[in-house]
Amino acid sequence: MIGALLACALGAGAPTPLRITARLLDFQQGFVFTTSGDGFRVSPHLRILDAKTGKPTAEQPAPRLYARLTFDPKGVVTELDLSRTKLPPEGNPAEVQQFAVALSPSYPNPELAPPKAVNGFTPVYTGKKVLVVFTVRVPPTTPLTATVYMTTDQSGWNPQAIPMNRVDALHFQVSRVLRSGTKLRYLYDRGSIQSIEYGRNGMQRPPRRLLVSNADVRAVRNVVYNWADSSPTGQLLQPNAIPTPYNPAPFPNLPPSPPPPPR
Amino acid sequence: MAFLALARRRLVARNDSEASAREDFSTLEGTRAFVLPRLIRRLCHTAALAVVFGVALSSTAQAAGALAPPQVGQIIHLHAKHIAFYYNRFVLTAQGNVRVQTGDGATVTGQVFTMDLKLDRFLVAGHVTVTWKGGVLHGAAFSDFLAFHRIYFVPLTTEPDRWTYKNGDFAHPLKGRQMPGDTFDFAHTEGQRPFLTSSSAVIGADSYVRFGPSRMPIFGVQTPLPSFYIGFSSNPNLSQNSLAGSNADITYNITGNAYSTTAVHLRYDTQNKFYYSFEQHLADANKYLVFSVNPLSLPSKYWNLVTGAALSSRFQIHTFSQLHTYQYGFSQPLEVQQASYINLTQAFAESAVQANFQFVNYSLLGQPASGFYGPSTSPHYWIPNHPSSLQLGATTFDHKIGRSPFHYTLNYGIGFNHSSYGLQNFGGVNYTTIWNHYVGGTIYLPSLKIGERYNPYKAYYLNTTFSAQRQWFSVPHHVDSTDLLTSVSRIFNQRLSAYVSYEVQNTGDYYNAGQQVAYSPYVPIIGGVSYPGYAAFKGVATLHTLSLGATWSPNPNFTLSVLARKHTDFPNPEPGLFGLPPTNVLGQSLGMSYLGQPPYDITGDVRVRVLPHLVLDVQRTYFFNFGTLRWSPQFVVQLIP
Repeated sequence: MIGALLACALGAGAPTPLRITARLLDFQQGFVFTTSGDGFRVSPHLRILDAKTGKPTAEQPAPRLYARLTFDPKGVVTELDLSRTKLPPEGNPAEVQQFAVALSPSYPNPELAPPKAVNGFTPVYTGKKVLVVFTVRVPPTTPLTATVYMTTDQSGWNPQAIPMNRVDALHFQVSRVLRSGTKLRYLYDRGSIQSIEYGRNGMQRPPRRLLVSNADVRAVRNVVYNWADSSPTGQLLQPNAIPTPYNPAPFPNLPPSPPPPPR
Repeated sequence: MAFLALARRRLVARNDSEASAREDFSTLEGTRAFVLPRLIRRLCHTAALAVVFGVALSSTAQAAGALAPPQVGQIIHLHAKHIAFYYNRFVLTAQGNVRVQTGDGATVTGQVFTMDLKLDRFLVAGHVTVTWKGGVLHGAAFSDFLAFHRIYFVPLTTEPDRWTYKNGDFAHPLKGRQMPGDTFDFAHTEGQRPFLTSSSAVIGADSYVRFGPSRMPIFGVQTPLPSFYIGFSSNPNLSQNSLAGSNADITYNITGNAYSTTAVHLRYDTQNKFYYSFEQHLADANKYLVFSVNPLSLPSKYWNLVTGAALSSRFQIHTFSQLHTYQYGFSQPLEVQQASYINLTQAFAESAVQANFQFVNYSLLGQPASGFYGPSTSPHYWIPNHPSSLQLGATTFDHKIGRSPFHYTLNYGIGFNHSSYGLQNFGGVNYTTIWNHYVGGTIYLPSLKIGERYNPYKAYYLNTTFSAQRQWFSVPHHVDSTDLLTSVSRIFNQRLSAYVSYEVQNTGDYYNAGQQVAYSPYVPIIGGVSYPGYAAFKGVATLHTLSLGATWSPNPNFTLSVLARKHTDFPNPEPGLFGLPPTNVLGQSLGMSYLGQPPYDITGDVRVRVLPHLVLDVQRTYFFNFGTLRWSPQFVVQLIP
C-alpha cells in the first residue's frame, strides 16, 4: 500500500511524456514518418509494442499502420505502439510539429491561400456532406409517361443511374447527398443515351458542371430545351427495330377495314 | 487517325461495291449461291453511307482546327504484388514491390500505393525511390496531384525534407514549400472488400483504369479474368451505345483506353430471354462511333453502327445504320433487312434546321423463286420494298413572350417520302411518292406558384402547355392535331410529391370531299362481336386523360411512384376493337396515347437499391377489368447498374 502511494507520488512528479496517434508513412534510417509528411527522429533504444496489448510485438513499422508515438522531452520518438486498426485520437499533432526534422526552412505556399470572396461569398470545400436538390424543367413535348434520369461521370454515364421524381408535367426533382469539393459532371436523359438532352439550339451539349461547396442545402435548377430523340421531322430509328414505311395516317391501330363490296 | 483510316477503308469499299452490285443484279438475280458475296457488298454500301457522313466530315473539321483538341491525361503504369480496386470509392491500392511509371518519364518504387481515381492523385510510400532522367532520389513518400501538375516528395538524404515539383520539373525542387494538409493521406478502405484484384494496371488519368489478369469474386468464387476495364471519363461520348433496352445487363468491359472500349454484354429480356452481345466504342471529345451485334447468340441479330460528330459549335451529324439478319450462327442468312438514318442539324442565332434522311431495304437477299427463304413450315418471306424519306424542319428556340410567364416555339417543315411499291391508296390511285409539309407551335406556362408563395412545401404549382400543328400532304388531305395539358402539383415535403393533370388531345384527318371514302362509316365485326358505336368515327378523335401521380421517396435508395389515369376517349375504347400498341423488349408500351386505351389504369413502380451498384425496378399496371384485361401481361423488371 505504501509502495503504491509512493509510486503514484513519484509518477505525479515526473513530466508526462508527449504522445500522439497517427498513421505511418515510412520508417527508415532512424526516422519515422507520419501521413502529415513529418519525419521524426527515433531513439536507438526504440520500443515497439502492440497498441492493444501493450506488449512487445514482432510487427515492424510500415506504411499504412496506425501507431501511437511517444516522444521524450527532446522530441525523439522512444516508443511506437502499432495497430492495424485505427486508434482513438490522442495528443495534439501541433505540439509535436516542432520536433519534425526538415533540412529546409518552411515557407508559405501561395497556392494554399484561402480563396477570395466572390460577391461576398467565399466557397469552402472541406468534404462536408451537402444535400443537393436538382430540379429540372423539361421540354413541353416530353410525354407525360416519360421518366427522366440524371447521368453523371460518377456513374460512368449510365443513362439510368439516377432516376428523378416527377413534380408536375414539366418538372422533375431528385436529391443527392454530395461531399463539398465534389466536381460533378452531369446531363439529363429519358433512360437511354439516345434520349439524352440537347442544347437550346438542338445541338449535342457538353456535360453540365457542378462544384459543391460547403452548405447545408444547395438547390440546382436546370432547363432541358430538347431531347436527342424528339425530332419534329419524322420517325427516329431505334436499335433492334426495323421501321415501318412512312404512314400519313394519324391513327395506326384502327380496326380492319370492311371488305370491298362484291362486284 | 483511326477514324480517318476507317473512313478511307469504307470509301474504298463503297466504290468497289457499287460497281460490282450493278453487274450482279443483271446476271445473278435470285441465285442463292451468289447471294452472300452480293450481300456483303451491299452491306459495305450501306455502312459506307453512314460512316462517310459521320466520320469523313468529322475528320475534315478536325483538320480545319474547328474544334478544341481533347484533353489527354497522363498514363500511369502500375505493377505490384497485390493491387486491389474498390469500386464504391474509386480507389486503387497496391502493396509489395510497387513500381509506378508516370507519363513524364519518372519511375517510382516503394512499399505501398494508393490512388483516388476521382481526385486524380496517387501516393507511393515506404522506402521510395524516384528514378528520372537526371538521377535517382530516395525518400519516404511521393504524392502526385496529376490534375494540378504538382508532385510532393519527402526526400531522405542526411535528414528528411519537403520538396515540391511544379509541372514535372524534377531538376528544380521547391524546398521547404508548404504542402496541402492531406497530401500523404491514405484512402480509407478498411473493412471493405475489393471489387477485383490484380498485379498490374494502366491508369489513364481522369478517364479509365485497365487491369491485367485479374480476379473478381463472383458469387463468392475468385474468378480469373484475362483483363478488365473501368471507365470514368468526363466525356459522355464514350458511353454512346447502340443496344436496345434489356431487363438485365451484365457488362464485361474486356479492354479499352481513353478513346475506346470493347465490351461483351450478357443480357436478359422478356422477348429474347438470355443472350450475349458485343459492342465496340470509339470516341473523342466531339465524335463517336459505336458498333454492336445484339443479340450475338440468337438467330435474329441486329448489327448496329452509330456515329456522331459535332463539326462545329453549330453543325452536327448523327447516323444510325442497322442491319438485321436472321441466321443460325454465321451461316447463310434467311432474312436480311437494312435501315439507315442520317440526321444533320444546323443551328442559327435563334432557330435550328434539321434534316433527316432515312431509307430502308426490307430484303437485301436475292429474290428466291419460291418467294421465301427457309423451310415452307417457317418461311422467311422476301419483301422487295425499299422506301426512303427526307424531312427538313426548322424550329425556333424557346422564347418568352414579353414579360409574361408564357414561352413559345414555332416549327415548320417539308418532307419527301417515296416507295416504288406505294405508300397509300386513295381514290383508286396508288401514291408512290407523298410530299408533306407542316406548321406548328407550342405555347406553355412553365410554372406559376399559387398559395403560400414563400413556402415551397405549401405552395401549388400550375403549368400548362398547348401545342397545335397542321400537316398537309400531296394526297389530298391534311391532319390537324392539338394537345392541351394542364397540371397542378405540390411538394408536401422532401419525401412526398403529387400532381394532378388533365390532357385533351384532338386529332383530325380531313379529306374534305373524300372524307366518306377515307373514313367510310361501318360497323366492324371482330371475332363475331359487332361494334356499332365505331360507325360514328369519321376521322376525328378526341382523347381526354385525367391523371393523378404521386412519388414517395423516403431515402435515395427507395422510390415508390403511383400513376392513376382515367381516359374518356372518342371513339370509345371497346375491348377488342383496336389493336394493342407495340411494346418494347421490356414489355413497356411504346406509344404514349393510342385509340382504345382502357378507361382506367393504375401503374405502380418500385425502385430499390439492392446492392451498392445495383438498383431493382419493378413496374406493373392494373386495368380494372377492361374486357379480359386486368393486369398488364407481365411485370416490367429491370436491374440497373
